Amino acid sequence: MKKVYPLEDKCLGCGLCEVYCRTAHSKSKDIVKAHKRETTFSAITIEEVLTPKTIKYFALSCRHCTDPKCIMACISGAMFKDKDGIVKNDKNRCIGCLSCLLVCPFGAIKKGADGKAVSKCDLCIELEEPACVANCPNEALKLENVK
Amino acid sequence: MKCLIIGNGAAGINAAAAIREKNKHAGITIISDEGIEVYGRPLISYYLSGKVSYEQIFYKGKDFYNEQKIHLDLNTHIAQINLKEKIAVSTDGKTFPYDKLLLATGSVPFIAPTKNLTNQKNVFTFLTFDQADKIKHAVKPNSKVVIVGGGLIGLKAAEALHGKVGSITVVDLADRILASILDKSAANLIEKFISKKGINFILGKSVGEVYGDENVQKVILSDGQVLDCDILIIAIGVRPNVELAKNAGLEVKRAIVVNEKMQTSDPDVYAAGDCVQTRELLSNEEKILAIMPNATAQGQTAGFNMAGEDIALNPSTSMNAISFFGLQLICAGLTGGQEDNLFVDENEYKLRRLNIADDTLKGFVLINDIARAGIYTDLIKNQTKLSELEYDLKQQDIGLNVYNKKERHDKLWEINQ
Ligand SMILES: Cc1cc2nc3c(=O)[nH]c(=O)nc-3n(C[C@H](O)[C@H](O)[C@H](O)COP(=O)(O)OP(=O)(O)OC[C@H]3O[C@@H](n4cnc5c(N)ncnc54)[C@H](O)[C@@H]3O)c2cc1C
Repeated sequence: MKKVYPLEDKCLGCGLCEVYCRTAHSKSKDIVKAHKRETTFSAITIEEVLTPKTIKYFALSCRHCTDPKCIMACISGAMFKDKDGIVKNDKNRCIGCLSCLLVCPFGAIKKGADGKAVSKCDLCIELEEPACVANCPNEALKLENVK
Repeated sequence: MKCLIIGNGAAGINAAAAIREKNKHAGITIISDEGIEVYGRPLISYYLSGKVSYEQIFYKGKDFYNEQKIHLDLNTHIAQINLKEKIAVSTDGKTFPYDKLLLATGSVPFIAPTKNLTNQKNVFTFLTFDQADKIKHAVKPNSKVVIVGGGLIGLKAAEALHGKVGSITVVDLADRILASILDKSAANLIEKFISKKGINFILGKSVGEVYGDENVQKVILSDGQVLDCDILIIAIGVRPNVELAKNAGLEVKRAIVVNEKMQTSDPDVYAAGDCVQTRELLSNEEKILAIMPNATAQGQTAGFNMAGEDIALNPSTSMNAISFFGLQLICAGLTGGQEDNLFVDENEYKLRRLNIADDTLKGFVLINDIARAGIYTDLIKNQTKLSELEYDLKQQDIGLNVYNKKERHDKLWEINQ
């Protein structure tokens, strides 16, 4: 399978990956409407690295682990791995207990915008390329085969 | 090969899936004395409140058993196991032969000896779907509900019934709620929040006696205080369900004794979930860790080994993610007694407490300030030296930036992990 990998040295922290992730997961698929009228949530987050002299950034999203701890911790069975190896969250069954957040060693899972379900990367399988990768202006996100 | 699994909970079902993953042909039978397919046990409180429908409680998809070729016998209680002949026998005399057996029998509710408590109709425990369903049908808008036990299960029952009944009173012998997982500062904050919703707490007292023959009408506390009661829910705690194992002659201490492969004292009999004791990471002692993440991991490990693999269980620790009326609590490890490293914002109901000792993180409690908590959990699991991290955990929110650039890169790119 392929995964999205961040390149820390290239990340400008511009946040476009977040913007396009939110848009891709909105109902309208419209960048303005998605941000003004919908409560979609970005599954990728710009994280800051503060050093004494500079601020650096990297973009963090679900690693789709080989042995996902989030699936083992899920109390409802909502979190599962599909046949392609993508770790998915069935929003209809997620009750938002955040047991997945409790065990994700990357800190890549967030409480959803609806306050209930959990929000995480689905690799934009319906698109040719994940929205975050396609719209990163500095090629700081790479879609690569898992080694 | 015939694999027999007693118990259709998180441990049992994950064991079955693991066996099937490694062995396409093994016969797999799961036996359950409950009447429905595997459901998320913690979801019974959401079912009781109505937040989750009957259809939504199921832990696996409808076709799971069929697809995985797992035979499921519902409403069947195993009364006895004969280790020599390798058969399990149900209450109605049916026999189930096995080559490998898994005991995934879970927990039973603990009921403290209480004067006059018999089998009154309005007394409930809160561990199964069936019990939740019975409570759902028994409560009336004016019911006075008394819940004995201010632990996770008691509080979840209280939350579920909030707004549906006349009054809810939670009684607990400890000086605080959630006493087994929280220190006083965190417990008090949550108690304050839940109290505001209109739930009454009586702490430091136990129920010594009940009054009423067919139905409990009054509850008498250890100090003589009398409470009117229409519905009594007993949620003091759970005990590992070890009776079958004990009677069969397997080694049982506080719970069923297993090795790293989840094998009991009989090498063809495995056990997993709430009914076993396993090595706890921080104390290095055998403990009962009756929570979902451990039940699933233990079940999976047992299943792999039953299918012939050689896999050891990773030691784990206690951990919980729960919300009460929207107040989010996440904690793991040893909460510790001291008030060090405590950050509280009473008005926002925010709290963060890190239990740091010997240059390692031993535990944490987070309330309403929970972002990236899993990184703390990972620091506990790996017992990472805190002095080697990029910053002081007490000074800054947690993030992957706590690791140096190379380590972070290797983690994200899964190099040498
Ligand atoms: C209300 C509630 C809320 C909870 N919330 C959380 C939470 O938020 N997070 C968390 O981590 N954990 C939570 N837990 C705990 C969690 O549900 C358990 O740790 C987990 O279900 C244990 O799984 P198990 O497979 O070991 O046992 P169980 O799920 O208890 O399954 C055991 C099964 O075996 C059956 N059985 C037993 N003996 C026999 C027999 N002789 N014959 C046939 N069948 C038998 C039982 O009927 C039962 O169906 C909660 C529990 C409850 C009750």
